[in-house]
Amino acid sequence: MTALPPTQVEPHPWRGLAWLSRRECHRVLKLWKQTILAPVIAALLFMVVFGLSLGNSISEINGFKYQVYIVPGLIAMAMAQAAYSNNSSTIFQARNDRYLDDILSAPMSAWQMHIGYLAGGGLRSLMIGVLLTALALPITGAPLEHPLELLAAVLLLSTAFGALGIIVGVYAQSWDNQSFINNIVILPLIFLGGVFYSVSRLGTPWEQISHFNPLFYVVDATRYGFLGASDVNPVISLSIVAVITIGLVSWSQYLFSTGHRLKP
Amino acid sequence: MDVLASQTPAALGVKGLTKRYGDGTLALHDLDLEVPAGSFFGLLGPNGAGKTTLIGAICNLVRPTAGEISVFGHEGSSMHARRMIGIAEQEPNLDKFLTVFETLLYHGGYYGMAKGEASERAEQMIDAFDLRAKRDVEAPKLSGGMRRRLLLARALLHRPNLVILDEPTAGVDLELRHELWSYIRKLHEQGTTILLTTHYLEEAEALCDEIALISGGRIVARDTATGLKDSHGVGTLEEVYLKTVSSGRIALAEEAART
Ligand SMILES: Nc1ncnc2c1ncn2[C@@H]1O[C@H](COP(=O)(O)OP(=O)(O)OP(=O)(O)O)[C@@H](O)[C@H]1O
Ligand SMILES: [Mg+2]
Repeated sequence: MTALPPTQVEPHPWRGLAWLSRRECHRVLKLWKQTILAPVIAALLFMVVFGLSLGNSISEINGFKYQVYIVPGLIAMAMAQAAYSNNSSTIFQARNDRYLDDILSAPMSAWQMHIGYLAGGGLRSLMIGVLLTALALPITGAPLEHPLELLAAVLLLSTAFGALGIIVGVYAQSWDNQSFINNIVILPLIFLGGVFYSVSRLGTPWEQISHFNPLFYVVDATRYGFLGASDVNPVISLSIVAVITIGLVSWSQYLFSTGHRLKP
Repeated sequence: MDVLASQTPAALGVKGLTKRYGDGTLALHDLDLEVPAGSFFGLLGPNGAGKTTLIGAICNLVRPTAGEISVFGHEGSSMHARRMIGIAEQEPNLDKFLTVFETLLYHGGYYGMAKGEASERAEQMIDAFDLRAKRDVEAPKLSGGMRRRLLLARALLHRPNLVILDEPTAGVDLELRHELWSYIRKLHEQGTTILLTTHYLEEAEALCDEIALISGGRIVARDTATGLKDSHGVGTLEEVYLKTVSSGRIALAEEAART
């Protein structure tokens, strides 16, 4: 037998990560009408319809006009949903059509695959955030008081919801599962988290109950970044959001590390 | 030369590999297999024998219940092992958001190739597999045979040392089959190890220098085509297949009855 000794080629897993991230971003940009344009228009509609129509009949909240007060929460909501729905659908599609195998067999470590899949939701979420900020601030006159705290809040929320999207995409049995989680869990929690009102105005016991809603801290930390005002201390809300992020990222990392539900 | 050959680690070493799926199906049962470096190796067996499961375990697509896998001496799940394997799965699984060229380019990237190298190689494979006219067409818009071509081109793109083809010629026209085999033969002559599953026994006999028969999750016979025929005292591979495969089925049924 004239077997040539196998040539040793270095695996370069970092390149694999770069190309997987690129693929995920490519998908977002290719479907830009659905992934970027539609959520931006939807959030702007909320701002215009709720803010400008109700703005004059609702008195100021914590010293802000109503149309200004709701901007941060709506941006946080749009970003969270974008990161979530992007990653849940990309993972579900890749599993369902089994082209995920091309990634699972590639020379990349589990965490490199994980970060690659987080990249698409991150890009989509941040693009929506930047566009909405650029449009909403001039339209409503909302300020941007603490850019660094805002950046920390949106990076954490994009990562957390991106990881949640991966988790749901991995466990989902059908397409319906993902929108079910979105409609039944994420949307209500965000609405109840004080996008449209200050939970401090709810009074006992609803104010205290709202503090058990993790999404309340996401909205509140984002609001602090924009308006410089918040219901709880921003250090507390950012810390809670960070803990939630770490929890969700650990869970999705566990799925990649063990292959649980990704591989039979 | 012989000394050298014996020092080269096997392209594939499988020891005590067992796979029980979540629903209790025992697909591989304490399976041992060694595929020498540089061989053209055929893996034959009936539907449900465990061929695709075995390949999945080798390529990190199936989680083994027990056992060890090595690829050219590297632990099966290591980066080096993964980099050395190219797999074309039984069912075409192409990324629906990528064109033919992008499918190949991104695959090269996932496998750690530099961009220029991957892009050059992608163009080569497009010509080799006669996909030039469809270069910028997305996978869902290809015909079934073209998808199969792209699947094979993708498997070979990163110049793997061990190429695993799971029924590459199922549902493929005669022309592509001939082209494919002449291409794979050339690769083999250049030193690439080929592991092939197929239900076409004459194809396996003509191409493979060694054949293993798998049934009920175990290897039930293994030799050259001639060796298999001689040891079973029959004239065709088909007769060997029928004899050995039924013994595997009986063994699995007994095993299932015991557990
Ligand atoms: N994901 C899975 N979950 C449960 N059982 C499975 C799964 N995949 C395969 N099996 C079972 O494992 C056994 C081996 O299947 P496998 O696909 O490995 O066979 P095969 O030799 O490739 O067959 P074929 O020639 O039909 O492709 C079969 O009994 C099959 O039903
Ligand atoms: Mg099979």
